Amino acid sequence: MAEEENQFEEFEQIDFLRDRHVRFFQRTLQVLPERYASLETTRLSILFFALSGLDVLDALEVVDSKVMIEWIYSQQVLPTQDKSNLNRGGFRGSAHIGIPYSTKGPGVLHPYDSGHVAMTYTGLCSLLILGDDLSRVNKEAVLAGLKVLQLEDGSFYAVPEGSENDIRFIYCAASICYMLDDWSGMDIQKAIDYIRGSLSYDNAFGQGAGRESHGGWTYCAIASLCLMGRLDEALSPRELNRIRRWCIMRQQSGFHGRPNKPVDTCYSFWVGATLELLDVFQFTHFEKNRSFILSTQDRLVGGFAKWPDSHPDPLHAYLGLCGLSLIGEPDLKKVHPALNITQRAFQHLQQLQQTWRDNAGSCVGQQ
Amino acid sequence: MHGRVKVKTTAQQEEEKKKEREKKLKVYVAARDACFSKRKDGVLDDEALQLTQQLLSANPDFATLWNYRREILTHLETVKDEDEAQKIYEAELSFLESCLKVNPKSYGSWHHRGWVSARLPRPDWARELSLCDRCLSLDDRNFHCWDYRRMVVKMSGVPVKQELEFTDRLIGSNFSNYSSWHYRSTLLPLLHPGSPEPPPSRCGGDPPHSCSPPSPQAHFHRVCEEQLLKEYELVQNAFFTDPNDQSAWFYYRWLLGRAEREEVISCAYVSREQERVAVAFSRPVNAQSGGLLLVLDGQPQRAEWRSVHPHFKHSPVWICDLPPGTISDVANEHNLTVHWTEKHTHRDCALYTGRSESWCRDTATDLELFRSELSVEKTSVLQSELQSVNQLQELEPLNKWCLLTIILLMRALDPLGYEKETLAHFQTLKEVDSVRSAYYSDLCSKFMIENTILKMEYAEVRVFSISDRNLTTLCHLDQLLLVTHINLSSNQLRRLPPQFAMLQCLEVVEADNNSIENLEGVYHLPKLEEVSLKNNKISTLADLQPLASCPKLRRLDLRGNPVTQTANVESELAELLPSVADLLL
Repeated sequence: MAEEENQFEEFEQIDFLRDRHVRFFQRTLQVLPERYASLETTRLSILFFALSGLDVLDALEVVDSKVMIEWIYSQQVLPTQDKSNLNRGGFRGSAHIGIPYSTKGPGVLHPYDSGHVAMTYTGLCSLLILGDDLSRVNKEAVLAGLKVLQLEDGSFYAVPEGSENDIRFIYCAASICYMLDDWSGMDIQKAIDYIRGSLSYDNAFGQGAGRESHGGWTYCAIASLCLMGRLDEALSPRELNRIRRWCIMRQQSGFHGRPNKPVDTCYSFWVGATLELLDVFQFTHFEKNRSFILSTQDRLVGGFAKWPDSHPDPLHAYLGLCGLSLIGEPDLKKVHPALNITQRAFQHLQQLQQTWRDNAGSCVGQQ
Repeated sequence: MHGRVKVKTTAQQEEEKKKEREKKLKVYVAARDACFSKRKDGVLDDEALQLTQQLLSANPDFATLWNYRREILTHLETVKDEDEAQKIYEAELSFLESCLKVNPKSYGSWHHRGWVSARLPRPDWARELSLCDRCLSLDDRNFHCWDYRRMVVKMSGVPVKQELEFTDRLIGSNFSNYSSWHYRSTLLPLLHPGSPEPPPSRCGGDPPHSCSPPSPQAHFHRVCEEQLLKEYELVQNAFFTDPNDQSAWFYYRWLLGRAEREEVISCAYVSREQERVAVAFSRPVNAQSGGLLLVLDGQPQRAEWRSVHPHFKHSPVWICDLPPGTISDVANEHNLTVHWTEKHTHRDCALYTGRSESWCRDTATDLELFRSELSVEKTSVLQSELQSVNQLQELEPLNKWCLLTIILLMRALDPLGYEKETLAHFQTLKEVDSVRSAYYSDLCSKFMIENTILKMEYAEVRVFSISDRNLTTLCHLDQLLLVTHINLSSNQLRRLPPQFAMLQCLEVVEADNNSIENLEGVYHLPKLEEVSLKNNKISTLADLQPLASCPKLRRLDLRGNPVTQTANVESELAELLPSVADLLL
C-alpha cells in the first residue's frame, strides 16, 4: 500500500460517514445476502435494526412507511373467529411458516403459528418508529400471548411451543408491557426474583442463576428494572455501586462484554446504555470509545462490524450508531437507553399513551 | 451475527460462488417447504427426521424445526422398544455434535442436546462431560458449554467436590480462566458453607409478603473461614503469577466481600419548632404504603409519612408532621418511638423539657458504615492481606488491580488513618488507568465525603465542610440529616440533587465557586436561612424555583451567576422569594 493511501485511510477513519450508513440500511431493507438466510425466522428484528438505525441517522424519509407498516402488521398473529388462539398472540419473525398474508382479522388457525417475544418487541418498536398509532395491535392477544410464556421461576420462553428461557426474554416482555402501558402480561415480582437470582458473584448479571456475568444480560436486567420502575427497590445502593464498577471496567478502548474478551462494537451500547441508566456514563472515556467504534466502520459499504476488518452487519451497524449517540456524536438522534428507540419515537409513544389514558378516563361505565 | 473477516477473491471466484449459493438456496427452500407441509399434516416419520436434519445442518437456529424434531422423537419413543430408542437418541447426539462443530454457540443445538440427554434411556454422562471438556479446550469462554456442563453435573449427580477439583485443574493450568473462577464461586459455598447468619433480606417493596429472595451470590460470607484462608492463598498465587489478569482480582474481591447490612432505623430526629419527625434508614425504603409507625408518649399516632422529595418513592429519609401543638410546648417532655414493622425494628427518642430538638442515632462509626465493603471478620486477616498486596505493588507499581485492592483494604481497616496513602494511590490509579480517570475521581470524591463524615462525628459537631476537593458529585446525603451548616465551596459540583432535601436540619449552605446550575434538592428545608452560591452557573429564574419552598430563607448570594444579568432580576426575585431580605447580586 502506498504511503498516501495509508494517510488517506487514516483521515477517512476518523470521519463519521453518515451517507454510507443510510445506504447500508436502505440496502438492508431491500435485500440481504444469502448468508443471512439463517436469520429468516428473526427477520422482523433485522427490520428494526434498519429502521431504528435510519431514525438515529434522522433519515427515515428514505423509507416507505406505509408499506413497512403493512408488512409488520401482516406478521401479527390474528385471533381466529372464536378467539381460540389468543394465547399464541404477538408478532412473527417473518412469513416462514406459510400463513397467508393478512393484516385484518379473523386469523387462520395453524398448529405451529405463534408470536415470538423478541419479534413482538421489535415489531412494536418498529411501528412506533414509523409513526404508527398501534391501533391495529390486538393488545388482548399480545398480552395473552405474553402471559403464557412466563415460567414459574419468572423467566420467559420466546414461543409458546417452548424454547430456551432466560433474561433476554424478560427484557422483551418488560418492553412490550411498557409500550402497551399494561403490565397484566407478566408477573413483575417473579421476573424481579429471576433477575436478582441472576446476579453473579462479581456483581453483574448472567443469563440466569449461576451463570457467567455478561454485558448483554446486564443490560437486559437493568433496563428491565428501569422499565418496571423498580430499580431502587430491587437493588440496594451498594449492589448498584458494584454493578456500576463491573460495567465501568468493561471499557478497554471500546467495550467488551466479559472480562478477557475482545472489545466489540455492540457493547458500546449494551454496556454504555447500562451505565447511562445507572447515571455514570459520563465517567467513561468518550474519545477511546468513539475511536474504537469508528475503527469498525466500513468505509465502502457503510455500517459497522463487531471488530475492525470484518464484515458489517445490521445489528452492529445499528448498535454502533447507538453507541455513538450515547457519547453525543453530532447529527445523531438521542436514544432512549432502556427501550432502545430514539427519544423522538419515545415521545411519540408517550403521546399515544396519554391519548389512551384520556380515552379510558372518558369512557362511561369504566372502573 | 458472527464476525466474518474479509477475504479478497477474484471476479471469477465470485461468480462461481454465486452459482453455488443459488443452487444451495433452491435445495434449502424445497426441503423447508416439504418439512412444513409434512408437519402440518401431522406426519412424524423417518423421512421427516431426514428432512429436518438436512435443514438444521444448514441452519441450527431454526427453532421450529427442532420442535418438530422433538415431536418426531417423542412419537418414535412410543412405537420403538428401549434399545431402538437408545440407538435413535445416540444418533441424535452424533448429529448434534456435528451441528456444534459448525456453530458451537447455537442456542438451538445446545438446548436440544439438553433435551435429548434428559430423555436417553441409558445416558452416558461421562461422554457428555468429555464433550464439554473438548468444547472448552477450544473456547474456554463458551458459556453455552458451561451452562450445559452445569446441567450435566446436576442430572448425573457429579459430586460438588469433584467439580471443585475440575476447577482446580483448569485454574492450575491457566490462572487466566474467568469462567472457571466463576464456576468455582458457585461451587465453593455449596461445599464449604459458612456459619449460618440471618439471610440478607431485601424487602422494602410494596406487599410485605413478597420478599425478593437474596441473590445466590449474596452468600458472600457463607464460606467457612478455614476454606476462605485456603482460597486467599490460591487467589494470591494467581495474581502474583499474572497480576494483569482480572479473573483472580474479581474473585478475591468476592472472597473479601460481605453481605448486606440489616435494614434498620439509623436515626430518629424530632423538632419542636417544625413539629416534625424525621427518620433515616440504613438503606432506601418505601414507607408510603404503611409499615412505619409513630408512637408518642405511648399513643400510636396517625402519621402520614412522606419522602423528602416527590422524585423518590424509595428513600432513606422519611418525614412526618405532627398536629400543631402536640410537642410545641417546651415545658413538656415527650417520648417517641418509631417502629418499622417490615423488619421488626424500632428506635426511641426522648425530647426533654427545655430542649427544642432531639435525636437518637447510630453513628457511621458505630455501623462501621464505610468499612462495610469488606468483611470485618478479623482485622489480622485483613492486615495480612494488605501486606501481601503491598508486596506485589512494590513489584508491579503500575498495576491497577493492585492499587484498587490496596485502597479497598485500607478503607476497610482504617479510612482516616490511611487517608493520605489512599489519595496518593488514587493519583497513581488515574495515571495508569486513564480510561477510567473520571470514574476514579468520582470514587475518590466519595471516599473523601466518607472521611469528612467520620471526622465530623469524632468532633461531635454538626458542621460538614468539604471544600477545594474537586468534588464532582455528592453522596451519603442520608448521613447528613442532623447537619446544620454545610460548606461545599470550590469544588466541581453541577447540582444540588433531589437527595439534598434529606438535610432537614440545614440552616446555612455555602456552595460558592462550583458549576451549579440545578438546585432541585434545596426543597422544603424548614430551617434554611442562608444560601451562598457565588460564582456558579445558575442561569434562569426557573432554576431558583425550589428555593421558594424554604420558608425561612432570608439571605441569598447570587453574585457571579448568569441569572443576575436577567432583565428585572431584582423585582422578579422579590416576587419569587419574598422572605429573602438580604439579596446579593
